[in-house]
Order: sequence, then C-alpha cells, then structure tokens
Amino acid sequence: MTTSRRQFLARSAQMGVLLGAGVPLLQSCGKNSSSSDRKVTKAIADGLQPEKGPLRIVNYADYVNPDVIADFENEFGVKVEISTFDTDSEVIAKLASGALKADLDHSVANDTIGNMINGGLLQPLNKSYITNTTNIVSTFNDPWYDKGATYSLPYTFFGTGIGFRADRIDAATVADQGWDTIWNATDFKGEVSVLDSDREALGMAMLRNGVLDMNSKDQKVIDQAVSDLLQLIDLVNVKVNIEGYKDIPEGSTTIAETWSADLITGAAGYLPDGVTADVLGFWHPPAGEYVVTNDSMAVLAGAENPVLAHLYINYLLDNDVAEKNFSWVGYLPALTKFDADYVINGGYVPENLRNCVPTQEEIDKGLYYAPLDPDTKAMYEAAWSKFTAGG
Amino acid sequence: MALAVSSPARRRNVFWATFAAPGVAWLIIFFLVSVYAVMAVAFGTVDPILRTTIPTWNPLQWDFSAMGKVLDRVFSGDLRHVFQRTFTFVGLSLLGCVVIGYPVAYYVARKAQRSRGLLLAALVLPFWISYLMRMLAWTNLLQIDGYVNDVLRWLHLQNDPRNWLDGDWYTVVIGLVYGYIPFFILPLYSALERLDGRLIEAGRDLGANAFHTFVRVALPLSVPGLMAASVITILPMFGDYYTNTYLTSGSPKTEMIGNQIEYYLRGSSQPQTGASLVLVLMAFLFVLMVYYLVTTIRQQRAAER
Repeated sequence: MTTSRRQFLARSAQMGVLLGAGVPLLQSCGKNSSSSDRKVTKAIADGLQPEKGPLRIVNYADYVNPDVIADFENEFGVKVEISTFDTDSEVIAKLASGALKADLDHSVANDTIGNMINGGLLQPLNKSYITNTTNIVSTFNDPWYDKGATYSLPYTFFGTGIGFRADRIDAATVADQGWDTIWNATDFKGEVSVLDSDREALGMAMLRNGVLDMNSKDQKVIDQAVSDLLQLIDLVNVKVNIEGYKDIPEGSTTIAETWSADLITGAAGYLPDGVTADVLGFWHPPAGEYVVTNDSMAVLAGAENPVLAHLYINYLLDNDVAEKNFSWVGYLPALTKFDADYVINGGYVPENLRNCVPTQEEIDKGLYYAPLDPDTKAMYEAAWSKFTAGG
Repeated sequence: MALAVSSPARRRNVFWATFAAPGVAWLIIFFLVSVYAVMAVAFGTVDPILRTTIPTWNPLQWDFSAMGKVLDRVFSGDLRHVFQRTFTFVGLSLLGCVVIGYPVAYYVARKAQRSRGLLLAALVLPFWISYLMRMLAWTNLLQIDGYVNDVLRWLHLQNDPRNWLDGDWYTVVIGLVYGYIPFFILPLYSALERLDGRLIEAGRDLGANAFHTFVRVALPLSVPGLMAASVITILPMFGDYYTNTYLTSGSPKTEMIGNQIEYYLRGSSQPQTGASLVLVLMAFLFVLMVYYLVTTIRQQRAAER
C-alpha cells in the first residue's frame, strides 16, 4: 500500500533526523500506485569507455583476494574501494536509503537477488562487456533466481552438508546416518554446531524429516523443524555459528552443519602444525536432496562507474584470475574449468575432500532457498528466534 | 520590567544558561529524537519488496501490531526466558562488580597514597583496547588448552581441563564482569573520594572499631555512589550481545535479549519486531534510569546543604 513517493519522503525524513536537521512530520499525500510493480532500470549502452573510478564494491569481509584487487587496479589504472557488510538485509537497507553508494555488489545471495531486482536496486547487465561468460558453468548462465542471468553472474558456489573430524568419527558412519549424525552425536556433546542462518538450519532439519520443499509454507513442517533443532540443545549442547571452517580443523568442533567451501578453506589455512587434511571429512546428501547455493556479482542501479563494474565482473570470470582468487578465498568459482580433478591436481583441494566440489548433476538437481512471501518469511524468522532463544 | 531584563543578575543567569545548551542539544538529538525514531520504526511499516524499514512519523498512523506480538512473546511466550536470562546474567554480573569493584574503588579512593595515580591509570588502561579485542583474547585464554586451564591445573584446583566456552552461564558472567567493571569502579571511586573523612574519623574517635566504622559509617555514605555506579554499569550490559556470542560460540543456552534485537534489526524481514524489543527493554531500563536521576538529584541537594 505504500507508494514509492511516500518511501522517498519517509527516507528524506529519516535522513533529516540523522543530520539533526529537525523533522517536519512528513506524510505523503501522493496517489497510491502498486509498489509491487518491478522498477525498470536500464542497461548501459555498448562500447562506452571505462570511467576513472574509484570502483566502489560492497562485499563480505575477506571474500576476495586482495592481490586480485591490486592486479585489477594496476591493469585498469583505477582505485578500488571495498565496503564490507555482514548480512544481505544490512546492505539492502543501506542501498535503499541512499546511505551507501556503490557500483557493484560482489556477493548477492540467490534468495535476495529477486528482491533487489524487483526493488530497482540492480541494473541489467550489458553482456557485450562480459566476454568471459563462456567460462561459466552453463547452469549459472540461466539460473532459477535470475532467468537468462540478466542482472547477475555467479561468483562462487557451494553446497550444505556435514563437516566432521574423520579421525574421531568414521566417514562411513556419517554417510550411514546422514543428517541424523548431528542428533546422534551425544559422544561429542559441546562439539557440535549448526549454521547461524535461519533458512539453512531449519532447512537442514526439514531435510532430515524427508521434506524436500526447502520453501515450505506449512506451519507444521516449520514447527517440527524448530522442535527438532531445540532437542539439539540438550542432546549435544549445540552451538550456532559459521565458524566450522576453523573450529573443525582446530578441533574444538567435531561435527557441524557447514558449507562445502568451509572444509576447503579449513584444509588450506586452519590446520594446526603437524595435523594433515586427513582429519577432515565432508558429507552431503545425494543429488536431488542437496542444497547447492551460490553468490553472485551484480551492478547496482545507482552505479556511477557502471562500465568499470562490468569490466570487473568480466575480470573475475577470467580463468586465471578466478584461480588466483580461489587459492585465497577457498570458495569455488562457478567456472567449468574448476571441476574436482582440476582443483585436486592443482593442490587446492585434498583428495579426501573431493565431494566438496559439487558435480554438474548435483548443481542441476540442487535444492535451493527461494525468496519467501512476507508471511512465510515471518514464520521462519519466528521459528529461528525461538530456537536461538533456547526455547 | 525593562530594567529587570538588563539587571546584572538576570544577565548572569542567561550567561550560565547558555552553558547548558550543548547538553540540551545533545539530549534532544541523541536521546529524544533517537527514541522517537525507534518508535517510528517499531510502529511503522516495511517496504513490501525490499523489507527495509519505512518509519511512520505521524503518531496517528502508528501500527501497534508488531508491538502486540512482541509483548505476548515477552510476557507469556518464547521470549520470556530470554528476558529472564538477561536479567539473571546482568544481576549476577552486577554482584560480581560490587564484590570485586567496591574494595578496589575504596582502596584507591581512601587508602592508596602515592600509588593512587598509578592505580587510576591501570583502571583506565583497558579502555585503550577495543572491547571486542578483549573478548577475543578471553576466548583464547578460556579454550581447552588455554592459560586459564593451565593455571587451574598448576594450582591443583582441577585435573581435567574444563571447556569454558561450552555455553555455560558463568562464562558469560565472567566476561560481563571483566568487560564492564571499569565502568563500575570509576564513578564509585569519584563518589568515595568525596566522602567526608571527618565522619569516619569521628566514628573511630567515638569508639567503633575499623569494621564497625566501615559498616555503620562508610558503607551507608557510599550507597548513592554505589547506586550510580550500578546503573551506569548495567545499562550497557542489558544491550550486550557480543560477550555471550564470543564466549559461548553462539550457544542458544546463553542468548540475551541483545541477540534477538540484533537478529530482528539486521538479519530479518521484520525490523519493527526488533525496534519493539528495543522499546520493551527501554521501558524496563527507564525505571532504573529514573532511580538513578532521583539519587543524583538527592546527592546534589545534600551537597548544597
């Protein structure tokens, strides 16, 4: 029921408050126009010269190799400025209010992209600047969250499974029990964690109950998931965090719901001296029950350096640049070159973590977290709040 | 009357009143307007697509549905435990601050002679390091192979190393006491330093021993200082959400109300719920704030007499 004009006024008022400028109680008397209409943004024209920069990027902390950024700066003769954020809602709030001005969102989650497109925060890509799309795993050139990859191109991809200490629990035992491993881990009380993410943790509990619709609107399904998660507090003294990438190699966590990339990162950088990657293990459900997620790069609607932003995306999709970046971040680039054989032979991933690289079949049949309507989202959020509050 | 306006007394009043202007401006911008903004968010709406806040500034259009749900959950639902837990943690931490902080403040204010400057510097020193860095340091000290367990084993106080980061209430209380005790000691110190030493000497002269002088004279005189120090300490403790997160690896057993506020404001599609929780917490804290103001005013009156 809110009009975009009213939003504009409300936001101006909000800024007024922040600046201490005194606030007339602004209320819109503008005509209501349906705000669910997609806001139209236009792609840039062909053949433009790159701007002088600086290129302003928003990204999670430590999610791109600083050397890759330095290389880009040298090659294109521009400065790159990175602002970091913790959650998608945080970056959307800042972009929507105008508090943050940037050219490129480096890592949009795929349940967020649709909202950002509909909310007019992204601009369509002009692929004439991005020749490296041929390197991309084909699925991601026409993904479910952005048909035809009109607004976004993939940065990294990974799946959700169980990371574990193979020296403490047998890989075959984990494979045998599947998600029950987490509920059965009474021998490892206090050394068990689930992801600090409402969708991921509740979704995992749903999968364990045989629910394959990760976007279920059924209150009963969600209630069951949260009551199962609550059991974990007494059963295994569960922790809620995203620290598996270091806590598993360092040994304080034995069994954790983690992303496949966490094990690759952990093997590369977090094993204590004298400990080899053999102690690490990863299990994930079979194709069709396996959640495969990716982060995407997208040019923001308010970009002042849109050409440069396009060139940056193209740069990151170059095989050599992507390899240099992968060697530092540990999250697989969504490029065909980086299959399991390539990353294992290259020494980036140990052989025992081969299943951390999703196969083409796993990607194609991958389950995913779709954007939810407000009521359903509120249901998941209330369930999550109940779990993290300890019941 | 025209004469009165330009009288020296009146002019002096205007002169001194301008000294209060920065404070008043500060109060208006950073307290009243901020609280009003929180209310506008709590009783406002969200963007239907982006789920970002759209504050409603006109009180006539306020929507109290999110607040209603929050009150239900706080008083009879799943958030009651979080509030109870938060109050318990803060209460125990305050107790810790009093037990450790009062003797320290008393010693520095009344007993320390030449070492006073050095001790005061030591009390201020923790402020040089960011709170988060200090908590991260504790996670290293408290981990299974950390120094805390080493020391306890060396003292033969425990044989098996304890996992201090396992989601136990006492770890959070230790962290809160450590983190906030300078905020407790410094105001208490300044109150104790102003105690009239002649009253204590009179107590001794009239035959009370050291213990009785302390309990009957010094302690009652330091109650207003204790109250002020307590309020200053527990207000930020109530909003804390990182101490427990860092020290228990995110255990649901130690979640405080600050974590719920952070989740709803930063990671959810219902910022109104987060803002409503802020208001509920503020309502509780308002009572404490009023008490603090009343005691300071009483103290001032007593000093003027």
